[in-house]
Amino acid sequence: MKIFLLSIVSVFMLMTSAYAGGHAAAEPLSAHQEEDYEAKGMGEMIGNFFASTGIVALVSPDENELSSHGEPMSDFHKGLGRVIMILITFLLFWLAIKKGFEPLLLLPIGFGGLLANIPIAGISGPDGFLGVLYEAGLANQLFPILIFMGVGAMTDFGPLLANPKTALLGGAAQFGIFGTLVGAVALSEYTTLFDFTIKQASAISIIGGADGPTSIFIASALAPELLGAIAVASYSYMAMVPIIQPPIMKALTTDEERKIKMVTLRQVSRLEKLVFPIMVLTLAILVLPEATPLIGAFMFGNFLKVSGVVDRLSDTMENALINIITIFLGLAVGSKLSADQFLVADTLAILALGIVAFSAGTAAGVIMAKIMNKFPGTKINPLIGSAGVSAVPMAARVSNKVGMEYDRSNILLMHAMGPNVAGVIGSAVAAGVLLSIFS
Amino acid sequence: METNLVIEGLKFMVLGMGTVLIFLVVLIVLMNLQTKIIERFFPEPKGAPDTPNASPGTPQKDTKKIVAAISAAIMHHKA
Repeated sequence: MKIFLLSIVSVFMLMTSAYAGGHAAAEPLSAHQEEDYEAKGMGEMIGNFFASTGIVALVSPDENELSSHGEPMSDFHKGLGRVIMILITFLLFWLAIKKGFEPLLLLPIGFGGLLANIPIAGISGPDGFLGVLYEAGLANQLFPILIFMGVGAMTDFGPLLANPKTALLGGAAQFGIFGTLVGAVALSEYTTLFDFTIKQASAISIIGGADGPTSIFIASALAPELLGAIAVASYSYMAMVPIIQPPIMKALTTDEERKIKMVTLRQVSRLEKLVFPIMVLTLAILVLPEATPLIGAFMFGNFLKVSGVVDRLSDTMENALINIITIFLGLAVGSKLSADQFLVADTLAILALGIVAFSAGTAAGVIMAKIMNKFPGTKINPLIGSAGVSAVPMAARVSNKVGMEYDRSNILLMHAMGPNVAGVIGSAVAAGVLLSIFS
Repeated sequence: METNLVIEGLKFMVLGMGTVLIFLVVLIVLMNLQTKIIERFFPEPKGAPDTPNASPGTPQKDTKKIVAAISAAIMHHKA
């Protein structure tokens, strides 16, 4: 016991002297430095050390401490707010581990949030490693683009090419974005509930595109101050697709419609798959150059995959590269979960608008499928309409699952992949339109 | 005059949904066209091409055995 106490005291002494030494090193130097270290009493040392602990920093925050933006913070955001945020990150861990909600993203984001709320250390500040990651890849939108490349390498456009008209469903589902945009500005204009600028409203409503990288891309371009809340809302709703979508899908369809069987998809030749990415990109170049960073990266990944001659590169993109970037992206987004940025009224509004956007997109996809069935041609099961809200491949799986509930032999998965990947293109186009409006 | 944000939002919606849908409709037309062109001019070869010497292993082995048997017989005869 005595030895233990002694070792603790000596560690204390080492730490305090290291602290003093750090200050000395900042002085102008000659080879033979004058040590300006003054001997301190043991009591004073322990007192100083105690003042630098996290407990003290949380209970009685330093008045001069600035946020990672270099702005003054309220005492709440320095003390209790941080504790609340750390508890929220624990909630994210629980959702990811116990409930299996997008663990690949929620864990890095949650842990990044935990680190960002540590007092004194300043991990999400300009010199902390989260701050550095943020500047390196999120502030300039690099990480979402790289993620898109990997997603491209994972995507199979076969089902879309086999049944091109299902692309319309992916377009209709983007109504979630623009419908929410109108709703958000209307509520800001006529009520005191929200107070968002039109740029902020656009960044929030892109959550309805149900596409994480696109949301982050747009948020960091239009409203970086809301990035944390938008990313968290976007990814958590995507994880909750199996809960959010089925009630909407069931409410909008009749029993008969849900049992519609779709014609088996034809085989798509390799050449078609090879031409497709180039075709989409060409179209984007001609119509909407603002969307080409996202679509370009997406199609690059896909092109390398279908080319079949650079398996090493496409393997890297869809495995190693996307995994590495996911870690960086998650941590960098987490750095925006600091109390001073997240514990504000806006966050609740963003969460509320996000789920409205998601639901509106789902409904629009299903309704579009019903409209298309009014026209002659092969019938479409409206359940695949909901897959138009990107969220690949979760939304397609939900369509399949709901379809099987009504007819066990009705396999909709591949049919739903068509609108699903079209939804990704649709979201990217919608993002491009928003960017072009504000540029 | 103060701009009415709701009208602005509606404009965004018309422009945005319009662009997305037109983009995808053009894409659908192009996809159908592409399929037609590729099926017409660059059809996939149906099934795997015939391989004339499909299983060269077995006859070769047999020949070797026969050669061995014959040479063994010759040796035997000479002896």
